[in-house]
Amino acid sequence: MSFRLINSLIVLSFICCSGCDSLFMSSPAEFKLSKRTKSLHGPAKNAVQRNLLDKFGTPVDMKAWERFPINYGSIKGKVKEPGSSTNAFSVSFNNEQEILPENSILRWLTGSFAAAEEDLFRDIPIESYSAETGEIVLAKKLSEDPKEGDQFIINPGFVLQHGRKLYMTHCLHCHGVSGDGNGPTSEYLNPRPRDYRDGVFKFTSTLSTEKVSHADLQRIVKKGIPGTYMPSFMLLKDDELEAILSYVQWLSSRGELEKKMVAELEADYSTAAVRSRKKEGETSEAISKELQELLSVEFSETVDGLATEVAETWTRANSKESLVVPKISRVPDSPESRQKGRELYLSNKAKCATCHGPKGIGNGPETKLFRKIPGTNKEYDQPGLFDMWDKHVKPRDLTRGIYRGGRRPIDLYSRVYSGIKGTPMPAFAGTLTDEEIWHLTNYVMSVPFEGQSSHATETEKVSQK
Amino acid sequence: MKKFWCLFFMFWPIVALVVCAMAPGMNWWFPGESNSPIGVEIDGLFNLILIIVTIVFIGTQIAFGYVLWKGAHIQKNEKALYTHGSHNLEIIWTVLPCVVMLFIALYQMEVWAKFRVQSTFDQDAVSQPIAEVTARQFEWRIRYPGPDTKFEGKADITDWLKNPRPTDLYTVNDLHVPAGKNVLIHLRSGDVQHSFFVPELRIKQDAVPGTVIPIWFNVDNKTKKYDESIKGFSYELVCAELCGWGHYKMQARVVAQLEDEYKNYLLQLQKEQFDDGVSAESDDDEEEE
Amino acid sequence: MSTLNPADAGFNSDHAEDTHAEHHELSFVKKYVFSTDHKIIGIQFLITTVLMLMVGGALALAVRWQLAFPWSNMPILGKYFASEGGQISPEFYTMLFTMHASVMIFLVIIPILAGAFGNYLIPLQIGADDMAFPTLNMLSYWFMWPAMMLFGMSFLFGGGPASGWTSYPILSAIKDAAPGSGAAQTFWLLGLTFVGFSSMMGSINYLTTIINMRAPGMTLFRMPMSIWGLFITAILQAFALPVLTAAGFMLVADRELGTCFFIPASIIVNNASPTIGGGQPLLWQHLFWFYSHPAVYIMLLPAMGMVSDMLATMCRKPLFGYKPMVYSMSAIAGLGFIVWGHHMFTSGMNPALGMTFMLSTMMIALPSAVKTFNWIGTMWGGRIQFNAVMLNCAAFVTMFVVGGLSGIFMAAVPVDIYIHDTYFIVAHFHYVLFGATLFGVFGAIQFWFPKMFGRMMNDSVAKWHFFLTFLGANGTFFPMHFLGVAGMPRRYADPYLHPYLEHLLPMNQFMTISALLMGVAQFLLLGNFFYSMFYGKKCGRNPWNANSLEWTAPSPPGHGNFDIPPVVYRGPYEYSSPLSGDKDFLMQTEPPVKKKKKDTGETEDS
Repeated sequence: MSFRLINSLIVLSFICCSGCDSLFMSSPAEFKLSKRTKSLHGPAKNAVQRNLLDKFGTPVDMKAWERFPINYGSIKGKVKEPGSSTNAFSVSFNNEQEILPENSILRWLTGSFAAAEEDLFRDIPIESYSAETGEIVLAKKLSEDPKEGDQFIINPGFVLQHGRKLYMTHCLHCHGVSGDGNGPTSEYLNPRPRDYRDGVFKFTSTLSTEKVSHADLQRIVKKGIPGTYMPSFMLLKDDELEAILSYVQWLSSRGELEKKMVAELEADYSTAAVRSRKKEGETSEAISKELQELLSVEFSETVDGLATEVAETWTRANSKESLVVPKISRVPDSPESRQKGRELYLSNKAKCATCHGPKGIGNGPETKLFRKIPGTNKEYDQPGLFDMWDKHVKPRDLTRGIYRGGRRPIDLYSRVYSGIKGTPMPAFAGTLTDEEIWHLTNYVMSVPFEGQSSHATETEKVSQK
Repeated sequence: MKKFWCLFFMFWPIVALVVCAMAPGMNWWFPGESNSPIGVEIDGLFNLILIIVTIVFIGTQIAFGYVLWKGAHIQKNEKALYTHGSHNLEIIWTVLPCVVMLFIALYQMEVWAKFRVQSTFDQDAVSQPIAEVTARQFEWRIRYPGPDTKFEGKADITDWLKNPRPTDLYTVNDLHVPAGKNVLIHLRSGDVQHSFFVPELRIKQDAVPGTVIPIWFNVDNKTKKYDESIKGFSYELVCAELCGWGHYKMQARVVAQLEDEYKNYLLQLQKEQFDDGVSAESDDDEEEE
Repeated sequence: MSTLNPADAGFNSDHAEDTHAEHHELSFVKKYVFSTDHKIIGIQFLITTVLMLMVGGALALAVRWQLAFPWSNMPILGKYFASEGGQISPEFYTMLFTMHASVMIFLVIIPILAGAFGNYLIPLQIGADDMAFPTLNMLSYWFMWPAMMLFGMSFLFGGGPASGWTSYPILSAIKDAAPGSGAAQTFWLLGLTFVGFSSMMGSINYLTTIINMRAPGMTLFRMPMSIWGLFITAILQAFALPVLTAAGFMLVADRELGTCFFIPASIIVNNASPTIGGGQPLLWQHLFWFYSHPAVYIMLLPAMGMVSDMLATMCRKPLFGYKPMVYSMSAIAGLGFIVWGHHMFTSGMNPALGMTFMLSTMMIALPSAVKTFNWIGTMWGGRIQFNAVMLNCAAFVTMFVVGGLSGIFMAAVPVDIYIHDTYFIVAHFHYVLFGATLFGVFGAIQFWFPKMFGRMMNDSVAKWHFFLTFLGANGTFFPMHFLGVAGMPRRYADPYLHPYLEHLLPMNQFMTISALLMGVAQFLLLGNFFYSMFYGKKCGRNPWNANSLEWTAPSPPGHGNFDIPPVVYRGPYEYSSPLSGDKDFLMQTEPPVKKKKKDTGETEDS
C-alpha cells in the first residue's frame, strides 16, 4: 500500500521539480546483446559490442550502414556549381530525383563543411529544391560557397527513423527493442513472437536455402499470421510499411552480424573456452595478447566480410532465382487428385502422417517422442518437436483450415516445396515431383471440408422437422 | 468572496456551453456526417436529446446561479426563508420531466426496431448474407460466400455459418460491401468478446463468443469521398469492447463499393486466393508495375 | 457547550459510570486498531479510503499520461514496471485502468460512503450509542484488508488483472486470454469477494441499527437524509451483492475448476486447444450488472443524503421537499434493480428487452431530476454560508446535473448504439462518481471533521482544494464528452493509431494537464486533513449550528456517544424556524417551546 502511496507522491513531486529526471525516468531504450555474446570472454565481448555500436548505433542514435541492401531513404549527391548566394547551389544526385520530401535535411560528407569541427553546418534544413534548375536552397546561409564536387547526403537514416517510430507503436511490445522477440508482452503469447536476430523467417516464398524475400515480409505484415498473435496491419500506408520493413531488416541484419561475429570468436574466446585454455596451461596474459592482436589487426576486415555475407543473402532472397515457382500449374482439384495426395500423405516418401497424424489433426507419433536438445545430451522436458529457437512447436492441425503462411495453393505448395524455415517441417523439393506436391496440396486443402456434406444434410433434416 | 464564488459557479456552465457550441467547428464532433440512413436517424435523435438537455441545463444552471446569488446577498440579520417545500412545485417538476422522458422513450422506439428487430429489415438482404465477420485477437477475419453461392433458405445459411465451404473467400481487416444496398453480415467471435464499431456509419454490435449475431445496414456514401485507389468508399472499423492488450490495434476498414466494382473485387479476390504461382504470375507482375 | 480534546474524550466524559465503563481501560490496540467502536471504525475506513483515493488517482494519472504522450517514457511506473526504455506495454495499460476502476469503486467510493460515513453517522444521527453488532462492524473493516492485499498482489505479482473492472468473460474466464488473466484475475476476483463480504456485513449492521436503535422520538420521517441514503444503500447492498458474489464464485470456478458457466464451446484463445464449453458469456454481464447497476446508486445515494444535510445546514433553511426526496431516493433504489440491461444494449440481447430497459432507464431519470430541483429549492431564499463545505455541495449539484443529463443520451438506445463504450460513457460516470459523489464526500469530510476530531479543517486551504479540484475535474471530464462523440472508444492504449482519432491528441493532452492539476490539489486535502487532525482550530459540540443529533454529542464523542441520552422532538431541518427565536436553528433534541410555556410560563432559550 505504502509503496504505491509513495509512488503517487513521487509522481507529483516529479511534476513539481521536473529537473531531476533521472530519478524517475528510465534510461532510454538500448539494444541488448544476445545470450551468446554475453558468454564471450570480456574483451571479445566488448569488441563485438563496440562493432555493433559503431555500425548500428543505439535505438536513440541509429546509424545507417550503407553496406546493407536496406532502403534508408537517404539521397546522395554532389555539388555541381555554386549558385547565386551562399545558401543556394546546383547539385547532381547519384540517382535521378524529382522531388525531395518535406523538411529534408542536408549533411555534408566531404569538403570543408564536413571537416569543420563545429556542428554549425552539419545538418542543415533544405528550404527548396527545383528539379528543373537542379538548385537547392538551404534554410541557413553558409560561411562560404561549397566547392564543386563536395558530397552530401540528404535525409540520412530518414526511413530508419520513421521505421523506428512506427516500430515503437506497432511492433515493439512483442518483438522487443532489439527485435529479439522478447518485448514486454511477448511472455504471454503463444506462439512466441519471431526473433529477428537470426534472420530466419518461417513463411516464405523462397527456396529452402534462401532468406525471406521483401515481398514475403510485406505480405506477412499486411495479412498477419492467422492462428498467432501477429495481427494484420492491412491499413498501413505504403511508405509506413516500407519504413517498418526497412527497420526490421536493419534489426535483423544487426542480429545476424552479431551472431556471425560471435561465431568467429566463440571457439577460442568464450568464457568457457578461455577457462579451459587456462587449465591446459596457457597464461591469461598470452590469451589476452593473442586476442588483442586478433581484434586490432584482422577483426575489422572480418566484420566487413561478415557484413557482406549478410548483405548478400538479403539481396539474393529478392532475386527471381530464389523464388519458388512450380514448373506446372496446379493439378485440377479432383477426388482422384486428392486420393493421390492422401496416399502420398500416408506414404513413406512424404511421411506427413508421422507428424501431422493420419487424420491431419497434428498428433502424429513424432509428437509423442522426447527429443534431445541440439548440442547437448539432455532431453527436452516435453515430448514433441522443437524449432531452432528451442520453442515447442505443434505440427499444424490441418482440419482447422488455418494456414499461417497463407491459404493460396501457391502458399501451400511453397510450404511443402521448401519447408518451414527454422522448424522440423522439411523441404520436399528433392523428394517429391511438382505433380506430387500439387496432389498433396489438393488433399491438404480438402481436409477441413471432409465429412462436411453429411453435416449439411443433417442440419437440413433438423430444420425440415 | 461570496460574489466570486457565485460568478465561479456561473462561469463554468457558460464555458461549457461555449465549448459545446465551438465543438463542431473545432472538429470535436461526430467523425463526419453519417453515411447510413440509420446513422442519420441516430444523429437526429442525438441532436434532439441535445436540444432538450441543453434547455434543461441552461434552465437548471440559471436557477442555480440565481439562488446562489440571492443566497449570497441576504441581509445579515435576515433569516432564511422558512419553507418545507411546495406540493405544487413537486408535482410540476415530476410530471414535466416524466412527459419529456416518455416522449423521448417512445419517439426512439422505431429507430431501435429498425436497427435490431430483424423482421423490420429487408428480407432479400437477410436471405443473402454478404459475409461472416469473425473478430479475433486482434483482427477481423472476413469470410465471403463464393461469388456463385446462392443461399436457399435459412437452413442453408445456418449450414454455411457452421461449415465453411471450399469456395469461400477470405480476407482480413478489409470488409467490402455493396454500396447503397441493404446488406446483412453475420458477426461472431473466435475468442473473447469484441465489438464491431464503424463510427462513420454509427454501427456498433458486440461480437459475443458462442453466438452468431446478424447486423444489417445500408451504406449510402452521402458525404463520403470516393477513394480511387480502392475503388470504393472506405470507413474505419474498430473494436469497441475490451478484448485484451491489443484492443486498440484492431484497425480495419469497411469498403462500400458500387455493385460492379464489388463484383469485380470478389472475382479478383477469388483469383488471388486460388493463385497457384504459375498461371497468375504474369498478371501479378503487370499490376505491380 | 464544552470543548473536549480528543485525548481525554474517551476517558473523562460524563457517562464514565455507565455500563460501558469496562471498555475504558482498553489497550491501544483494542482502542484504535481492533476497535469495535463505530466511530473509530468509521475513521479507520475514512483514512484508509482517502489514502486509497491517492493510489487510485495515481493510477488514473498513469492512464492519462499514456493517452497524452503515448509510448513515451512514463515517469516512475515506466521505470519500475515497464521494460523497454520507459515505454509501458499495452497490457500494462489495460492493468492500469482496470486497477484504477477497481480501486476507486471498491476501495474508495463504496467504503468511504457506506464504510466511513455510514459507520460514523448512523449511530450518531439516530441517537444510538453504537452499532447493533459492533464486532461484525469491526470485521467489516478488517475484511477490507485482505481485499486490498489481494488487489495489490494481483497488481504486483500476477501482472494485474487486464480485463477491465467489468471482467467480461472470455477475457477473464480463460487464463490464456490475456496477460493478467492468469493468477492476477483470480486474486482480483477473490479481492472482490472480500469487498463484498465487508459490504454485506456493513449493510446488515446498518439495517438492523437503523430499524431497531433509533432514539425515542426519532421516527423514520425525522431521520436526516444521510440516514435515508445509507439505509436505502444498505438495502441495495443486501439484495444485490449476493448475486455478484455468486457470479464471482462461478467465474473463479470457470477459471480454476474447469466449469463452463460463461465459456461457450470451440473458443480458441492464444492458440490453445478449443474449449469444451456450453456456457454463455452474456450470463456474466447480466449477473454482474444486476449488482453493479445498483452499485452505481450505492455509490451515489449516501452522497445525495449527506449533501442534502449539508445544503440545508449551510443555507440555514429546511430541506425543500423532504418527503419527495425520500420517495425519490426509494424510487431510484427500486428502479435501480430493473435497469441493469442498459449496460448491454449492444450485446445482442433480445431487442424487446432493450426497449424495456430503455423505458425503465428513462424513468429512473425522474427521481434524479426531482432531487436536483429540490436541492435548488433548498438553496432558494437561503442565507448561504460560502464555506468550503457549501462550495463542495454546490459543485455536487451542478456536476450532478451534467452527469444526469448526459445519462439521457445513453438511455436512448439508438444513441447508445453509437456512444456505447466510447469516452462519452467515461465522461458520464466520471461526472456522477467524481463530479457528484466525490465532491459530496469532500464536503462531508470537512463537515463532519470537527465531530470526528474536535478540530476544524482550515477553510481557506479547503477552498483552494475545491477551486483546483473543480477546475481540474471539469477540464478533465468535460472534454471526454467530445472524445465520445468523436467516436473514441474506451480502453484504448493508443487511439491515435486510427486516423479518425488522430486530431484528438491535443485535447487529450489538455485533459491530462487538468488531471495533473487535480492530482496535485488532492495533496491539499491530504495535508489539510492530517494537519488539522492535530493542529486544527478546536471547536465545540456544534460548530455549524446544525440540528441533527450528532451535534449534541461532544466533539469528538466519547465511547457510547451521547452524554445526555437524546430525545427527538422534530425533524432535522428546522432552520430559520419562527419558533427558534433569535437563533436560526432548532435542534432535534430541543423540547418544543409550547410545552414549557404551558408548564411554567417562563421563557427559555436554547
